[in-house]
Amino acid sequence: MRRISRRGFFKVTAAGSSALAISSTKKAFGMKEFKGYPDSMGVLVDLTRCIGCRTCEAACNKEHGLPEPEIPFDDFSVFDQVFHDGKRKRRTSDSAYTVVNRYDDTSSGAPVYRKIQCNHCNEPACLTSCFVNAYTKTKEGAVIYNPDVCVGCRMCMVACPFRIPAYSYHSALHPQIIKCNFCYDTRLKKGKPPACVEACPQEALTFGHRKTLIKIAHERIRSDPDKYVDHVYGETEVGGTSWMYLSSVPFDQVGFDTSLQHHPILDNTKSFLGFVPMVLGIWPAMFMGFHLLSTRGKEETEKKVSENK
Amino acid sequence: MNKRKRLVLTGLIMASFLFVVPVFGASSEPPASILIDSLSYLYNGVNFDHEQHLEVTNDCSVCHHHCFGNGAENEQCAKCHANSNGTSSVACGDCHIQKPFTVQHIREMEANPKRYHLDMVGLKAAYHLRCLNCHVEMDAPTGCVDCHERTDTGNQFYHSGDYAPIGGGAGKVHE
Repeated sequence: MRRISRRGFFKVTAAGSSALAISSTKKAFGMKEFKGYPDSMGVLVDLTRCIGCRTCEAACNKEHGLPEPEIPFDDFSVFDQVFHDGKRKRRTSDSAYTVVNRYDDTSSGAPVYRKIQCNHCNEPACLTSCFVNAYTKTKEGAVIYNPDVCVGCRMCMVACPFRIPAYSYHSALHPQIIKCNFCYDTRLKKGKPPACVEACPQEALTFGHRKTLIKIAHERIRSDPDKYVDHVYGETEVGGTSWMYLSSVPFDQVGFDTSLQHHPILDNTKSFLGFVPMVLGIWPAMFMGFHLLSTRGKEETEKKVSENK
Repeated sequence: MNKRKRLVLTGLIMASFLFVVPVFGASSEPPASILIDSLSYLYNGVNFDHEQHLEVTNDCSVCHHHCFGNGAENEQCAKCHANSNGTSSVACGDCHIQKPFTVQHIREMEANPKRYHLDMVGLKAAYHLRCLNCHVEMDAPTGCVDCHERTDTGNQFYHSGDYAPIGGGAGKVHE
């Protein structure tokens, strides 16, 4: 039987404990959850109140100094616009942070209008996909973007589960990602509601703390269960979003993706990505240790053998 | 000079309307008409024919909830307000505030966790939700300019009228 030397014993112990450390770290990274900033603001969009007046679109255009629209904001013929062989309605673009679409074939019989803009996720996929950290989730709840560091890879456009970020392809010199920023610089950080919310004549958009809005949303459903679908879209979708929705018709009838996961997109890669630095840092040392352990005795015997020759 | 006089006069008339609702609210005579113009910006005020609407609904609580102390139209409200006293004011703007999303108001609403009316709409929404929902039901006019004329500021805002984009493709910006 081979005797274990003092040095050998320490090597084995070190290797074993680092292996343990890896497994426990992996678990810790996988478990970590971010439930959103406690005082995050949000907007509750009540589809039953929206009348499709497009005032929010006009307010957004004015607030952000966006290009003049191709047709006036009081022209409702835009609701008939369809793209991709009628499969897709209007989307946010480099000249519109928000658009309202009309859905005619709903179970309610009457047309239902739906506003789209960035939903300002609690754990945004755009942010986590960005390798230069151009995105920030502010404590107020806004997901904002810094064009100065953006390299234009457009990974965020692919990552967004709501297909929101647009790109100013027309700009040859300073192209950038364009999306709703919750009016962060001009309003939100000064404690004011976004321009679209303030302009809405119907208060289809309710601004407040996300926590309170969830209460209000469930209270609206509870006090009028015949009117609403019993679901607050955005409460849990992709880990929760700052903008949430109430509807009188099933959400998939008005363009919502109801197949989205109910935990952050980041969770799909978080445990793996947490594991990578550990592997890079510890595995080389560990395997070097194994290598030394297994070859140490060999070298001495080989030396002895060659000396004996 | 003449213009200034007219401005002052208009101002006085407008100011007098501020007192119309509370005065009549306290008495038993409802006002014949009310100029709703405190929010005029994109649209001019509405000269609301109160008398005519009262004839149609024949029930104050349709719009004024429980404020006259004569029960509430909505079942949900009636649970508490069926027998409650009338309120000191019945003017819409005395409960439904003009700016419902200020930091101060949000704090105030959240200060009392037991507060029931956490979800009270602002004045603009109170008008539109009440008026429009009923107009849809009654097949009355529902277009924006059916009730109030758009102002010049409004036309600029909507890029409409004199400010409409010229031709197609005007929205594209090229650098």
